[in-house]
Amino acid sequence: MKIITIIKQVPDAEARLHPAEEGIDLDGVTFVIDGMDEYGVEEALRLREQGFDAEIIAVALGPQRYEEAIRTALALGADRAIHIETDTVLDPITQAKVLSNLVSEEEAELVFVGGKQADWDSAALGPALAEALGWPHSDWTTKLDIGAGTLTVTHDTDEGQEDLSLPLPAVITTQQGLNEPRYPTLPNIMKAKRKELKKLPLDQWGGVQAKTAVVGEAIQVRERLNRVIEGDPVEAARELVRLLREEAKVL
Amino acid sequence: MVRHVREFAQAEIAPLAPQLDRKPSFPWKTLKMMGELGLLGILTPEAYGGAGLDMLSYVVLLEEISAADASHGTIMSVTNGLPQQLLLKYGSEAQRQRYLPKLASGEWVGSFCLSEPHCGSDAAAMTTRAKKVDGGYLLSGTKAWITSGGEAQLYLVLAKTEPSAGARGVSCFAVEKTEGMVFGKPEEKLGQHAAVTTTLTFDRCFVPEENLVGSEGQGFSMAMASLDSGRIGIAALAVGIARAAFEAARDYAGEREAFGRPIREFQGISFKLADMVTKLEAARLLTHRAAWQQDRARRVTREASMAKLFASEAAAEITHHAVQIFGGYGYSKDYPVERYFRDARVTEIYEGTSEIQRVVIGRQIFKERVR
Ligand SMILES: Cc1cc2nc3c(=O)[nH]c(=O)nc-3n(C[C@H](O)[C@H](O)[C@H](O)COP(=O)(O)OP(=O)(O)OC[C@H]3O[C@@H](n4cnc5c(N)ncnc54)[C@H](O)[C@@H]3O)c2cc1C
Repeated sequence: MKIITIIKQVPDAEARLHPAEEGIDLDGVTFVIDGMDEYGVEEALRLREQGFDAEIIAVALGPQRYEEAIRTALALGADRAIHIETDTVLDPITQAKVLSNLVSEEEAELVFVGGKQADWDSAALGPALAEALGWPHSDWTTKLDIGAGTLTVTHDTDEGQEDLSLPLPAVITTQQGLNEPRYPTLPNIMKAKRKELKKLPLDQWGGVQAKTAVVGEAIQVRERLNRVIEGDPVEAARELVRLLREEAKVL
Repeated sequence: MVRHVREFAQAEIAPLAPQLDRKPSFPWKTLKMMGELGLLGILTPEAYGGAGLDMLSYVVLLEEISAADASHGTIMSVTNGLPQQLLLKYGSEAQRQRYLPKLASGEWVGSFCLSEPHCGSDAAAMTTRAKKVDGGYLLSGTKAWITSGGEAQLYLVLAKTEPSAGARGVSCFAVEKTEGMVFGKPEEKLGQHAAVTTTLTFDRCFVPEENLVGSEGQGFSMAMASLDSGRIGIAALAVGIARAAFEAARDYAGEREAFGRPIREFQGISFKLADMVTKLEAARLLTHRAAWQQDRARRVTREASMAKLFASEAAAEITHHAVQIFGGYGYSKDYPVERYFRDARVTEIYEGTSEIQRVVIGRQIFKERVR
C-alpha cells in the first residue's frame, strides 16, 4: 500500500517577520517543514514500524524552496518524494484538485495532511482533498489505528472528541497530540540526499486556474498593553482575572 | 544536517543546561537521544554502527551541541574523539566489533585515561603499571581527571608495561567497567558540572590479553596521535560556547537601554561585539581548516594545536566580554553568560594546556619548516 504525506514549508515559528510595503518581508527568514505535516510523516513511519507494509511518499506543491522541507521528510524516513513545483500561489481548493490527480495516479490509499498550514491557517486542504477524491476524511485526528481495510480514529470536535471508523482509502488531517515526531538521524539525513525526488510541472494534469487571488496581506502586529493594575492586592487580582476573562478571553 | 542538529540541541539540551549546572547529574537521557541520532559515533563507519561522517561534519555538529550545553559537548567529544578513534585506528577487528557499536549508539559512553594526579602535561611520567600475568595484565595505579568517570562503561587506559622505557614503555588497554575499579567522588569544578570528572584507581585489576589495544609500548604514540583529532574537537567545543555567549550578548545589547538608548549604540559596546564576532569567526575557520586537512589524511599536529589554542583563548575572551556587556546581570545565575564564562575556562586546560599547545606549535615550526 502507498501512503502519501503532504508537505508544506513555512517560516520558522521563531522567525521575526516584518510587515513590508506590500505584504510581508520574508527576506532572511528560515523556512522549515510545517510542524503539522511532521505528524503525518511520523504516523506513516509508525504504521510501517508496526509491521504494516507501506511505501511512504512525501508530496509537496509549492515553490522551489520547498525542496528543503521535502528533504526533511525524506530524512525522517519517507521513501521518495514528488514535488509539483510552482511559484503560483494557489488556494486550498485548487491545490486539492491538483493533488487529487497525483493521489489517484499513484494509487495511494492513505493520505496525511497537516491540520493547518501554519502560515495561512486555512485548515481546508484536508477536507477539500477528501472531497475531490470522494474519500472519507477525519479532521483534527489525535489517534489512529489501522485494521484490515479500515481505520479507527479519534478526533477532536468543538465539544470533546469522537471515535470514528472509516474505510480505506481515506484522508487523515493530523494535529498535535497524534504522536511525538522524531528527529532525523545523521545517517538518514545523508541517505535523504540520494533518495528520489521527482519534479512535476503544475500543469501535469491540464491547466490550473487559481480560484482566488491574493491582493494584499498583512500580519498581526502585537504590542504590549503596558497596563498596571494598582491598589489592594486582592482587589487587583480580582480585576486581573476579570480582564483575563472578559477582555483577553484567555480564561 | 546542521539545522536539524541545532533544532534538536536547542529543543532538548539547552533547556536543561541551567539545571545541570546547579544540580549536576550525568545526562544519560539526552545522551541516549544523541546516540539514537548518531551524534555519539559521528566518525565511526556505518559498518560499526556509526554515522560514518567526516571530521568537518563532526566539528560543526559538536559546535551545535556545545552551544546548547558545554557538558554535553565534552562528553560527546571524549567518547567520539578518543576511545572510538583509538579503536578504529589501532584496535583489533574483535575489539572494534565488540565496542564500537555500543559506543556509537550511545548504549555505552567511553572514557580516556591518560592524566594522573601528579602528572598531566608530562603524561609520560605516569606511574600506573600494567604487569604481564598469565592470560593478561594486572593494572595498578591511579588515573585523574577522568571525564565520565564512573558513568562510562569503557575506559581506554594508558599504563606502563615497561616502566624503565619512559614513553616507549606505555601501552593502551580497553578496560570494561568492573568491580576492581574504584572511582573517586566527582570533582567540584568551576564549570561543566554535568560532565563528571573523577579519579580512577586500579588495584591489581585483571585485564585480559585481548584487551591490549595496538601492541605493547605503542600506547603513548597512539595517544598523542589521537590527541590531534581530540584537540580539533576541543576547538569546536570552545567555538560553540563562544558562539552562545556572543549571541546572548548581541541580543542583550539590542534590548538593554542606558542613557535613553540601546547599549549597542555605544561605540564601546559595538566595538566589543565586533571584536568578539571576528575572533569567533577566526577560531571557527582555524577549526574547520584543521578538520578539513585531517579529512584529506594530512598530518595536522600543528593545525590542531593552533585551532585549540586560538579557539580556547578566544572563548575565554568572548565569554569574558559577554559578562561585561550584561553588566550586573552578567554576574547573576539568572542569565546564562556567567555559565558560559565558567564553562569556557577549561578548554584552555584539558587535552593539553595552552602552554603545551605553544610547545607543540613551536616544535612543529622547525620540524615542518613552516614559512
Ligand atoms: C574538567 C577536566 C576534564 C579532564 N578530562 C580528562 C580526561 O578525560 N582524561 C585525561 O586523561 N585527562 C583529563 N583531564 C586532565 C587534563 O588533560 C590535565 O589537567 C592537563 O593536561 C594539565 O595537566 P595538569 O593538570 O597535570 O597540569 P600540569 O601539567 O601540572 O601543569 C601545571 C601548569 O604548568 C604548565 N606547564 C607544564 N609543563 C609546561 C611546559 N613544558 N612549558 C610551559 N608550561 C608548562 C601548564 O601549562 C600549567 O599551566 C581533564 C582535566 C579537567 C580539568
